[in-house]
Amino acid sequence: MTARLTLRFENLHRGFGRLRVLRGVSGGADAGEALLVTGSNGSGKSTLLRCLAGLAVPERGTIECRVDGRALDLDQRRRAIGYVAPVADFYRELTTAENLDFFGRLRGVGAEAGRRLLDELGLPHDRLAGALSSGMLQRLRWAGALLHRPPILLLDEPLQNLDRRGREDVLRLLDEHLASGLAVVANPDRLDLGHVARHLDLDG
Amino acid sequence: MWRAISTWTAEVRWIFAKEWRCELRTRYALNTLGLFAFTTLIVVSMALGGPVGLSADARPFLAVLLWVILLFAATAGLPRTFVHEEESRTATQLRLAARPSSLFCGKALYNLTLIFALEALVTPLYLVILEIPVASPGAFVLSLLAGGFGLAVGSTLIAAMIAQAGARGPLFAVVAFPILLPLLKITIAATLAAVLGEAADMHLTLGLLYDAMLTVAGLMLFPAIWNP
Repeated sequence: MTARLTLRFENLHRGFGRLRVLRGVSGGADAGEALLVTGSNGSGKSTLLRCLAGLAVPERGTIECRVDGRALDLDQRRRAIGYVAPVADFYRELTTAENLDFFGRLRGVGAEAGRRLLDELGLPHDRLAGALSSGMLQRLRWAGALLHRPPILLLDEPLQNLDRRGREDVLRLLDEHLASGLAVVANPDRLDLGHVARHLDLDG
Repeated sequence: MWRAISTWTAEVRWIFAKEWRCELRTRYALNTLGLFAFTTLIVVSMALGGPVGLSADARPFLAVLLWVILLFAATAGLPRTFVHEEESRTATQLRLAARPSSLFCGKALYNLTLIFALEALVTPLYLVILEIPVASPGAFVLSLLAGGFGLAVGSTLIAAMIAQAGARGPLFAVVAFPILLPLLKITIAATLAAVLGEAADMHLTLGLLYDAMLTVAGLMLFPAIWNP
């Protein structure tokens, strides 16, 4: 049975010094939905995702994530999230499989899950993360985010550097994820994701 | 309860193993600590003009010089623990995946093994080159272990603090000064007492207490330092 899953954020404010980035941003998504966040460079898309992931604290406003009516605390929310972002990288000295094995173990997942995702995304197991092309690194970010089958995916420019096959692969994985989970997708322009139920324009 | 402890212990072990696996592939900290310690050791022995033994002139400096060598070498290598995570942008993944307490302990354990390896390499060379006899070897080793433990745990905590700041290099020295100064003062007194065969119990007890205090403070403060 699919868990009832909701993510809501209300009136979020966040700045850096005197620069105000988020000013009263509200939105949300339910299980099976993707919220698409668009906006020009510097409009606060990444900052919003960092706040939702618990990696930055909003100065004002609330973020609430509920599973079957039960609110998750900050630690539980962090562990319930899969995060794809240009700032979320892997150990250059370790191979793709070793990286996924390490992060998988921390999240209570066996090595097999990582290897299966590497195969699904067409990545070599024994290549050092530091020797990956930018497109392959983006695929590895997707593998890292999906490793523990999180209910929430936060995707910051998720198709960046991917070729056509890579885009098809990750969009198929996003489709599978949205069968039970939810996603927040940040991109400068509108994306045709199929499942987008809500749209939040930070320029508007 | 036991399951939670077992999961936590496993996390510490994986973080520790990951640190060593990365280190053995780059050898950054090993090379930095080793080369820095060896260079300082040679400079010290040349400045003292060769073996000094337990001559009255050299006595006050014997323990100080050993700990200056260990501290400088550690300062050159240990702050990288968390700086590397921020610079290589792996900190984000780590924040989402690891419990702060297991991360702190895994990193501290890695720093501890580095420091102990450094002590095992430098101390015998120091004693041999300067021809220093140790009257109480047991107390001497204990002083090294207590000092090394405090240095490792203190450096881990300081490394986490400075990793998120801009001017990381000079900041380590500034933040380390008030935290490591009491530890070094106690440890130097314990090491000197052990070399001269005097009672070192009081100094060693103080050193172990300071180690315990650093560990508790580290575990309490680290989540607030690491997470926003």
